[in-house]
Amino acid sequence: MSETAIHPDRVEIEAPAEQWKGQSVPRKEDGRLLQGQGVFVDDIKRHNMGFAHFVRSPYAHAVVKSVDVSTALAVPGVFGALTGDEVATLTDPFFQLATPPGNEIKDYALAVGRVRFEGDPVAVVVAESRELARDAAELVEVDYEPLAPISDARRALDSDAPVLHPDAGTNLVWESTYEWGSWEDAVSEADRIVKIPELHFDRFNSTPLECDGALVEYNQGTGQWTIYCNNQFPGFAAIMMGPAIRCGLDKLRFVTQDIGGGFGNKITSHPQLVAICLLARKLNRAIQWTEWRTEFHMTMSHGNERWFSETEVAVSNDGTLLGFRTKALDDAGAFTRYEPLGGVIWAQVTPGMYRWKNIRLDFTQVVTNKAPCSPNRGYSRMQHLWFTERVIDIVAGELELDPVEVRKRNYIRADEMPYTTPNGCVYDSGDYAGMLDVALGLIADDTIAARRAEAAATGRLLGIGIGSTLDSGTNNFGQSRLINPELQFSGNNEVATVKLDIFGEIVVTLGTTPQGQGHETVTSQVVADILGVDPDSVNVRVGHDSYWNSHAGFSGTYASQFAVTGLSAVKGAADNLARDIRALAAGVLGADSPDDILLEDGFAKRADNPEAALPFFAVGAIVNANNAVLSPEGREITLNQRYVYVPPFELPDIEKKYGNLTLTYATQVHVAVVEVDPETGSYEVVEYAAVDDCGTRINPQIVEGQVMGALAHGLGAATHETFTYDAEGNLLTPNFYDYHVPHAMDVPPLRTGAIESPSPFTPLGTKGMGEGGGAAIHAVCAALQDALKPLGKPIVRDSCNPPFRVFELIRDPAASREGLAVVDA
Amino acid sequence: MLPREVGYARPSTLAEALEVLAATDGARALAGGQTLVNVMKARVASPDALVDLNGLDELKGIELERDGGLEIGPMTTYTEIVESAEARARPVLGEVCAQIADVQVRNRGTVGGNICANDPTNHLPPLLVALGARMTITGSGGERTVDADEFFLGVYMTAVGPDELLTKIAVPPGRRDGFASVTIGRDGTCIVSAAVSLDGGPRVAIGCVDAVPHRATGVEAKLNGNTSIEAARAAAAGLGATLDPPDDIHATADYRRHVAEVVVARAVVQAGARGDRR
Amino acid sequence: MTAVETSRRISVEVNGVTYERDVEARRLLIHFIRDDVDLTGSHIGCDTGNCGACSVILDGKLVKSCMLLAVQADGASIRTVEGLAEGGELSPLQQAFHTHHALQCGFCTPGMLISATALLERSPQPTDEEIRKGLQGNICRCTGYWNIIKAVKAASGQEVVE
Repeated sequence: MSETAIHPDRVEIEAPAEQWKGQSVPRKEDGRLLQGQGVFVDDIKRHNMGFAHFVRSPYAHAVVKSVDVSTALAVPGVFGALTGDEVATLTDPFFQLATPPGNEIKDYALAVGRVRFEGDPVAVVVAESRELARDAAELVEVDYEPLAPISDARRALDSDAPVLHPDAGTNLVWESTYEWGSWEDAVSEADRIVKIPELHFDRFNSTPLECDGALVEYNQGTGQWTIYCNNQFPGFAAIMMGPAIRCGLDKLRFVTQDIGGGFGNKITSHPQLVAICLLARKLNRAIQWTEWRTEFHMTMSHGNERWFSETEVAVSNDGTLLGFRTKALDDAGAFTRYEPLGGVIWAQVTPGMYRWKNIRLDFTQVVTNKAPCSPNRGYSRMQHLWFTERVIDIVAGELELDPVEVRKRNYIRADEMPYTTPNGCVYDSGDYAGMLDVALGLIADDTIAARRAEAAATGRLLGIGIGSTLDSGTNNFGQSRLINPELQFSGNNEVATVKLDIFGEIVVTLGTTPQGQGHETVTSQVVADILGVDPDSVNVRVGHDSYWNSHAGFSGTYASQFAVTGLSAVKGAADNLARDIRALAAGVLGADSPDDILLEDGFAKRADNPEAALPFFAVGAIVNANNAVLSPEGREITLNQRYVYVPPFELPDIEKKYGNLTLTYATQVHVAVVEVDPETGSYEVVEYAAVDDCGTRINPQIVEGQVMGALAHGLGAATHETFTYDAEGNLLTPNFYDYHVPHAMDVPPLRTGAIESPSPFTPLGTKGMGEGGGAAIHAVCAALQDALKPLGKPIVRDSCNPPFRVFELIRDPAASREGLAVVDA
Repeated sequence: MLPREVGYARPSTLAEALEVLAATDGARALAGGQTLVNVMKARVASPDALVDLNGLDELKGIELERDGGLEIGPMTTYTEIVESAEARARPVLGEVCAQIADVQVRNRGTVGGNICANDPTNHLPPLLVALGARMTITGSGGERTVDADEFFLGVYMTAVGPDELLTKIAVPPGRRDGFASVTIGRDGTCIVSAAVSLDGGPRVAIGCVDAVPHRATGVEAKLNGNTSIEAARAAAAGLGATLDPPDDIHATADYRRHVAEVVVARAVVQAGARGDRR
Repeated sequence: MTAVETSRRISVEVNGVTYERDVEARRLLIHFIRDDVDLTGSHIGCDTGNCGACSVILDGKLVKSCMLLAVQADGASIRTVEGLAEGGELSPLQQAFHTHHALQCGFCTPGMLISATALLERSPQPTDEEIRKGLQGNICRCTGYWNIIKAVKAASGQEVVE
């Protein structure tokens, strides 16, 4: 069903042989999860807790004239409610990242005065049971005065478009022109210009199986909130919530344990969390909230929908890509809760994997009466990389060149790494052409011609497509200043603590909030290698608790960075602990220097006389319970190390929009083979290859799992998943009935491969890789376009291609090609 | 989400079930629940009471009649049809039931529930119309039989009245049947479906294009026993223009018009391919 | 006449233990399992009966417990994920999931294990196609299913390609 091929040629680490790095150690997390003993937020119960249910607008856009909760409150068993008026009094609007006019948007935990998307919450009701809360919510009387909605972002800046935020006076959030090199130079060098009509990256997200949720307790005596939740970036939540609730950040304690998938979609739950926090304080009881699937689809974290229009590509006859210009329009939905960062984050991968130097992109972001966008697996880079790959295939198609050759001609080469892109990002390492060869080999591309003929004999059209992509990881948050120079964010960080306990137990805490990426396991492997033990002896504390200072401003699990930020913090702390152990042992064992001490099998041993050894049990006991035997220097040793990893970043140049925005670049190259039924537009992915390179792989099986998961997400997005709205702003896919996600019968046979190009910039040579970069979307679009070529060369212009859309390309290929032109430069 | 308050009755006999239905305002039959419980969770419909039919053995089972026809109890689950030796007398039944939703749904969902719900995308309404099934409906006034052509009245509406229950589905003998569809994902919800029966027919019924299964009488008239793909396509040509299907997130109306012709032709070929093999 | 009750005292056996509770007729079986019996291993991932995270085995049949009312399970015998490991020892199926990295976040896992258990009891040597069909009603967003299919195949004692 899936097979793996390894290509280890490129691994070159100077560090001493490590036993656990590179081993597919089965996961520590599994024991509890396999037995249903995980602790997900809805599993947590408190005596007499109140169940919360949100009352939500059925309208995409309306004035809220009144909200009357009195009937609901009169029902026995209903504990209380919260309305927008209270929220407006008790809280300040959430901090906005944008410059004017976007910064005028007023965003609160509940709708204040107006609702702006279907599902926008206007009140919350709390009752003694889930069912009663649901009943009581129906009794809340809301008087809406509907307004015309704007549901097509392309119309959002029309003079007659309804304006969502009168304070801003426009639906424009943010816009800017990015320009590096010179388009005019590219044109003068080029033989041809390829003009590409509008390309559309659709709106969808990763629909983690567990929805958002929280159980919040408020300690009236200390003013401390304890927020059991599944937010995956508590550092960000705290920054947003504290000022809104008007409390110090330390009063917001975030506790997470098992999280049922995040994929970026659990970053912006701060509005709901504020509402629940206010209720916990107001009603003086624990408040339980679990989001319903329908609510998640309607209100949470849609991925950025983006149009690329008026695209022009300057190219030589031999397929050398010289430059492009395009206009990107981004639909942020009704509120900007992490936006407009998407407006700069794509620039981490400005040229894609290609060597072109002359690039101009006009970026415009608007609001519409749809669910607010916020990060979705591949956040903002995926859209841009999809666009880039479409451009490559379309250009290759129009110039009648082989898309493989065009890629190889233009890919940045392995010997050019580290490579500085036109906007100053540094691609650390990689071998793109090598990976493409591996991927093509995995699907036996030399047999494609024969298979095309075979398929044709049964009336099917076979197509093959490449999707190459980057997963840029470890953000320099200084890029936010390219959006808004006033923002005081830059760099990045992550924290870990590693200690030796009284009885020599190794205990690790992480600042991260994993949602299935296996942090406990991978961490234990890294620590095991440093301390000379096995991973089973490393206790990684499960979950995240911000009360105990094991976090930093950017702590969390998002943006493909754990393998760098999390593991480097772990390495730093473990290295320091190892140094502590060696220093202590040297003193106790009479060695000349700590360098003479080896850590092996849970002992600190003299290298010249391994019989002279201290078990970690003794090391821990001496420091914690027997320290009178220690020298003055010895007494400085704590065996409890906290380490903050800070990646080496500088502030980007705001004027030139130039600078390194991410530390590492993992790569994936996928090849998809599809068979299309031309009578219906239905198609099947009959074969698939995925090759990844994320530098040093600490646990290859876990890495491959991430590749597979991202792949499945991409397949879903390519074939069916879309958050589509009608003209009234009603979401047509508000649940899993209509929003079809792939199930076990939908996924193709898969072959995987891997190479390792270690990052020169990270302590372990690792690169973050969890997001993936949407390669499956790029590959399926390319394969469809290839399959349909004999039928009039339609151009695939949408990222999501369900059967009816494929059929339309078959029925009227000319329509898809309208506006496509190749002219002499 | 969560249902409204509801009453629940668990009768042990058909008579008891009919009694409760008649005596209780706003009572509805609960069969497999794979549609009704969802509908109640969404509060799109909230019956005042549910009469659970799952204990009524008299509504279960499949009998093979002497003439080769089948008598199917409406509380027979899809899985039971798939696994039934008797149902192999008409293989299309098991084949189609095996495509409905997933294992979990098939273990609870019932044939009767599928047709009484009459969601336009359900598999069995067009299939039973094509097979020329006859439904027996029982109420306090006694029993009556309704042909499949008259059974389906509108979206979610059938000939079964509020105090009545579907008690039997009779499928006439035959074998040369076909069913083809385009679905959302593999074995997913139908976007367009077509059921064809050549024995005692031809009868051609299209699903997903109207409130009730659409008898494609024009296609039927053009079918002359030739079940080659070319003949089938010729017979189906022009069908689309006679349809007024919905436009929705899964397909445009034009797509459904076109695909209806394609799946009809494929179902014809399938039916023809069964020949007289026993 | 048969009583029509808005709530009912029900007796349900779960993993071999019988529980008696008063429940509203509208209470979904999954909430009965999670809230009234405190077995939180079975999960809720959707509200339209599509995701399968709530899958349990009821009177020997695989069902989605969000699509059943608790009152319908009065007198029934249910198996949930908590009943799979015997004496704290992972079952061969659970062990196979562990070996083949068939879980990541773990939220779909209980439902997957239950569906796979039902499949293997019905069909001890399933083909890949049968496994995929048997798991069609369980959504996973983390793994892409490949490792799950492999794990189920391995648990059945058949050879798997690594």
